[in-house]
Amino acid sequence: MKRRDYLKSILVLGGLGVTSVSVFEWVKLTRHVDTKQILDKRPIIAELAEMIIPKTDTPGAKDANVHDYVLNIMINCASVKEQNRFVSGIQEIEDYASDKFGKDFLKCSLKERSEALKHIAEHAGFSTPILNKINERYLGTPFYPKFKALVVEGFCLSKPGATQALAYDYVPGSYEACIPLKPLQKAWATK
Amino acid sequence: MYISDKTKEAATYDAIVIGSGISGGWAAMELCKKGLKVLLLERGRDVKHVVDYPTATLNPWDFKLGFNNTNKDKEEDPIQSTSYSPADKHFYVRDKEHPYIQEKPFHWIRGYQVGGKSLIWGRHCYRLSDLDFEANAKEGIAIDWPIRYKDLEQWYSYVETHIGISGTKENLPHLPDGEFLPAWDLNCVEKHLKDSIKKHDPNRVLINARIANLTKTWDGRGPCQERNLCSRGCPYGGYFSSNSSTIPAALATGNLTLRPFSIVTNILYDEHKQRATGVSVIDTLSNEKFEFFSKIVFVNASTIATTSILLNSTSSRFPNGFGNDSGQLGHNLMDHTSAAGAYGILYDQYSDMYYKGRRPEGFFIPRFRNLKDDENLGFKRGYNFQGHGERQEWGDKSRYIVNEFGEDFKAKLTTPGPWTVWMQGWGECLPYFTNKMSLSDKEKDKWGLPLVKIDFAYEDNENKMIDDIRKTSAEMLTQAGFKDIDSFRYTKPGGSTIHEMGTARMGLDPKTSVLNKFNQIHDVKNVFVTDGSCMVSSGSQNPSLTYMALTARACDFAVDELKKGNI
Repeated sequence: MKRRDYLKSILVLGGLGVTSVSVFEWVKLTRHVDTKQILDKRPIIAELAEMIIPKTDTPGAKDANVHDYVLNIMINCASVKEQNRFVSGIQEIEDYASDKFGKDFLKCSLKERSEALKHIAEHAGFSTPILNKINERYLGTPFYPKFKALVVEGFCLSKPGATQALAYDYVPGSYEACIPLKPLQKAWATK
Repeated sequence: MYISDKTKEAATYDAIVIGSGISGGWAAMELCKKGLKVLLLERGRDVKHVVDYPTATLNPWDFKLGFNNTNKDKEEDPIQSTSYSPADKHFYVRDKEHPYIQEKPFHWIRGYQVGGKSLIWGRHCYRLSDLDFEANAKEGIAIDWPIRYKDLEQWYSYVETHIGISGTKENLPHLPDGEFLPAWDLNCVEKHLKDSIKKHDPNRVLINARIANLTKTWDGRGPCQERNLCSRGCPYGGYFSSNSSTIPAALATGNLTLRPFSIVTNILYDEHKQRATGVSVIDTLSNEKFEFFSKIVFVNASTIATTSILLNSTSSRFPNGFGNDSGQLGHNLMDHTSAAGAYGILYDQYSDMYYKGRRPEGFFIPRFRNLKDDENLGFKRGYNFQGHGERQEWGDKSRYIVNEFGEDFKAKLTTPGPWTVWMQGWGECLPYFTNKMSLSDKEKDKWGLPLVKIDFAYEDNENKMIDDIRKTSAEMLTQAGFKDIDSFRYTKPGGSTIHEMGTARMGLDPKTSVLNKFNQIHDVKNVFVTDGSCMVSSGSQNPSLTYMALTARACDFAVDELKKGNI
């Protein structure tokens, strides 16, 4: 019963959120986005993706060409709303960098870039999945979770990501239901 | 159209089977094995086992856009794209080429090719029981089934023995055991849930899914290689499909003629002899019209397509559709509801355990509601759960680890997370006369055939059941110690479960049913309908196994009747 009340209260908030979205916002989210507008962001997308999944002892996002995956999805598969959120989300990071550090994001130090990305990430949504789920239902996926999900997807489906950062088993041949975890066991790349 | 006697002879077979999907494949194989010359008509292209599975051995990185459908896909295939991905899109129809009319939202998912949807089916196989066969009569809903479990029992065994189904014997009266290959093991978290369910409610039990994937070599196929890529077609023949099994077996008899690109427009009827004489066909490559003739006709075009052929086969004897004296043809359309369930996380347990291989199935919780008496839950009948346990991997982690990035995030992303269980309810849908399909009298497709109109909605019984599904799934996870439980409820239109059935139901009384207890059209004894359209009620079990058993039984009866000169 408590859980139900809890959910109800969130739904009310969600509803308020919807009514507070102005017509201006809606128009902003539905205007056409040129492919070029998205492609122009390639360099910064590559940097941001590498910051999310950096090269360590295994390949990082740049090694896996994740930026091209993200661009391809944004151009071919994303809705107009998602494209608008994407372009304005990147713009927000760029604006943060120029306001705060007085220079282009790409010219910032790694520390400065991290601060900019952290700012965006932490203002992206609620801290729990259930709240985000409800928020997204009413307002659409915000920029950072969408971007991060695409970076993760692009990386984990890529050959370097799947075969080096994760454990890839092309044709398992058998199923073992419960086996002891091996030391340094990586997660399976595919389900 | 003029047909010379010689041509007519060449176009004459012992039997015509319309549709090469899961039940049509069975009809073709059974009739061929019994020595009949069979023409198997398929409206779509040919799909040959293994050679026509273009994505079967691709790696994830071979898909440029991952498993995301493009905006063009979503625009051109607004219905099919809800079900396909780039990995199996080629086994679904193009919505634009195959329009239908949704009087209320209904997802009509179709695979027009040799093998039909048997290439992409869910592969779960459960027998119905007398709890299901007797329910309509006991509750005064719709009409009684003309058969009981004992009529179908040997045929279930017959088809299971051919298909190869992995599973466990459980001695449950409402979910009869079958002929099983060894089952896969349940993993740690599934065993944990099984034990907890058993402890909390003796009426509920978690068992292995019963599934048409081979745990050992069977009938020259398999075994399953644990790749879990079934819907792309399996180069190992690891699961049952018309393409991997029944059609090759039918061809091997030398009695089968397979004719793809052949849309059956109507069944030909001889008013004098009061029987069907054959079918009219449009060749979709040449747009030519042909007629083919036979002693018997099996209609296995899939629930809605079968009934659309019957509705389009009018004559002065049957002005309202073939065999439609009852007025029931097109009515009582059903589809299981699968809109609710729960997901939960079991933190800090079995953290040192993992699994290897991608088992193509999971667990099954058989129906536990209203088993003996009506339990006054606000709904009749019941539902089962299907689900699986796994450790969180990148797909879930991407959602569950919010706001983080960098080396720590990457480390979390690439190591196994906590164990989770996802389960979803499959609920029985009652047969309502008002849920129906019909043919448009105005709009036609590119072959000049009337468009199908579908008018379907779930009612109170299904909606109350969905509420209960949501409640009990969360309850079972809570009792087993799961946390962060997300009990979900989607808005899914009818058809989404792809278990559409009914529209040409069986029955004892020709006044209230289309087919008799052997799936014969009451007044046209040489026409048999053995796909989902024959169903009188839906049960909650995945229905394909029952279609196959009914088909094998009807084929046996039909050949007997032919020999006796009765048809």
